[in-house]
Amino acid sequence: MLFFEQLRGELRKLFARPRTWMGYGAFLVMEAVILIVYKMDGSQRLMRRMVEQNGLDFSTYYSSLTITFTIMLLSMVLLGAIYFALVAGDIVAKENEDGNLRLVFARPISRFRLLLVKYTAVCLYTFSFVFFVGLSGYAMAVAAVGWQGGLFVMEPKMKIFAAYGDWSTGAARLALSAAGIGISMITLSSIAFMFSCFKIKPAAASIITLTILFVDMILQEFPFFKPYQEWFITWRMSSWLFLMENPISWAKIVESYALLFGLNVTLFTMGWLSFQTRDFKT
Amino acid sequence: MLEATGLCKNFGGKPALRDVSFRVERGEIYGLLGHNGAGKSTSLGIILGMIAPDGGGVTIDGISVQRHHARALRKVGAIFEAPAFYDYLTGWENLRLLMGYSGGFDAKAAHAVVARVGLTARIRSKVRTYSHGMRQRLALAQALLPEPEVLLLDEPTDGLDPEGIKWFRDFVLSLRDERGMTVLFNSHLLSEVELMCDRVAILREGRRVFEGSVTGLQDGVPVFEVDLEPWGTACGLVHLSGGEILSAGRIGLPVDLDPAAFVETLVRAGVRIRAFAPVKRSLEDLYMEILNGAPSPN
Repeated sequence: MLFFEQLRGELRKLFARPRTWMGYGAFLVMEAVILIVYKMDGSQRLMRRMVEQNGLDFSTYYSSLTITFTIMLLSMVLLGAIYFALVAGDIVAKENEDGNLRLVFARPISRFRLLLVKYTAVCLYTFSFVFFVGLSGYAMAVAAVGWQGGLFVMEPKMKIFAAYGDWSTGAARLALSAAGIGISMITLSSIAFMFSCFKIKPAAASIITLTILFVDMILQEFPFFKPYQEWFITWRMSSWLFLMENPISWAKIVESYALLFGLNVTLFTMGWLSFQTRDFKT
Repeated sequence: MLEATGLCKNFGGKPALRDVSFRVERGEIYGLLGHNGAGKSTSLGIILGMIAPDGGGVTIDGISVQRHHARALRKVGAIFEAPAFYDYLTGWENLRLLMGYSGGFDAKAAHAVVARVGLTARIRSKVRTYSHGMRQRLALAQALLPEPEVLLLDEPTDGLDPEGIKWFRDFVLSLRDERGMTVLFNSHLLSEVELMCDRVAILREGRRVFEGSVTGLQDGVPVFEVDLEPWGTACGLVHLSGGEILSAGRIGLPVDLDPAAFVETLVRAGVRIRAFAPVKRSLEDLYMEILNGAPSPN
């Protein structure tokens, strides 16, 4: 029970800071822009060609579900990553910089437990943020094109193609994919969290995390790295896309998420070890 | 109640603490004095488990801080110079949050403590709107909420106005009187330490160079400010009685010599006495003697 009280306090702190809400605001603006562009003739023509080339009916798949999927696919790794890195990179380092940790260290709480509370808060933030983007994107898309229609999925890089004409099946897959993105993004937050535990400035923790992410993505695009793409973090983080396949490739998903889970545990442990062995001057 | 034994700490090869030991008894107010960089804050950091010592350790009520950090700190409250609260939260939220790390928040107890430190009217305001004095009151509240038996104060009166300093001093003294609280007071405000503490330790370059009771500061050679004429005759009588001339107009007499008897001797010898007043040796005198390298009384 005490853990939940501590977690509640950590979440209260997290959501009391304006920088936590910046991401929400940025995504709402971006979703509005995407929807406006989506309603334009040029975009609709492109979408129609893509859908009809695959022998599908455009009116079924030009839908709120497809728009929501597109928003999440395109925005989460790039724009979402910035906010995950910002929040997770701040959570320990900023409190150290501001001196708040001195008051906490005067309390009967172990450093491990303190970090566990903070890490859990970061994971919850990451997960809830992804669902916020999904739900707000869907709500806006419904306002723009109505709630009905199926889900059209095409992602050439991961070789994913699927079409769900039925709304309920498409919605279920979209919800499942949001959960998958949430789990994937925890790895990014874990990297930032680990650096936040080091003796560095909060901004440095966020910047190093984003650098790792972008370098990983860039290297993956090099043709001669293709045979090794499964070794890249961002490729593993994209495994949520396999949840859109029909039937779902559970083996590939479990393999990737087991690897990401192991990586998350390693990152947390490294952060904790650094934090545990550090001196904090009064 | 609180015992530091053989504390050693180096930062980057530079010694910050060298074999420092002290013991604070239950219900005692103990002052830790020293110039900047003497090792006061490092000592406090080790007591709170924020700094790992290279040697030695600290026990609080017999529990090792280094081995059982959380258990040892259950009986401790701490206040730092310029306490860094979460400015974007209210005072009440800060208390709630910090108490979450100390075994849970009791709203009734929190109301009582907030009232005692005189912060009820502003406790629901954001901390960023607080004055320095109000922050110190909030710091006291957060330190007292877990009902500690030991209170660690790190330069708590720095930046407070005279009224605030007096309020703080009276408050801490009342805590000792009412609850028998043990207090470790880390400061460079010598007058405050002298008014509050039962015993003091002075640190210099990471070493403890003095430890003794504040009342015991008067235990050395009695010193008197005098204005005597003729001065030559008076000096002869001082030497004859086993005393010494410390400076022009200042003499030291043997501990076992009754000053009244010495005054009588002076009068009988025809020495005119314009002034003869005992000099109270302050903590500041002692502190300056030690810092200037004079031999300490211990």
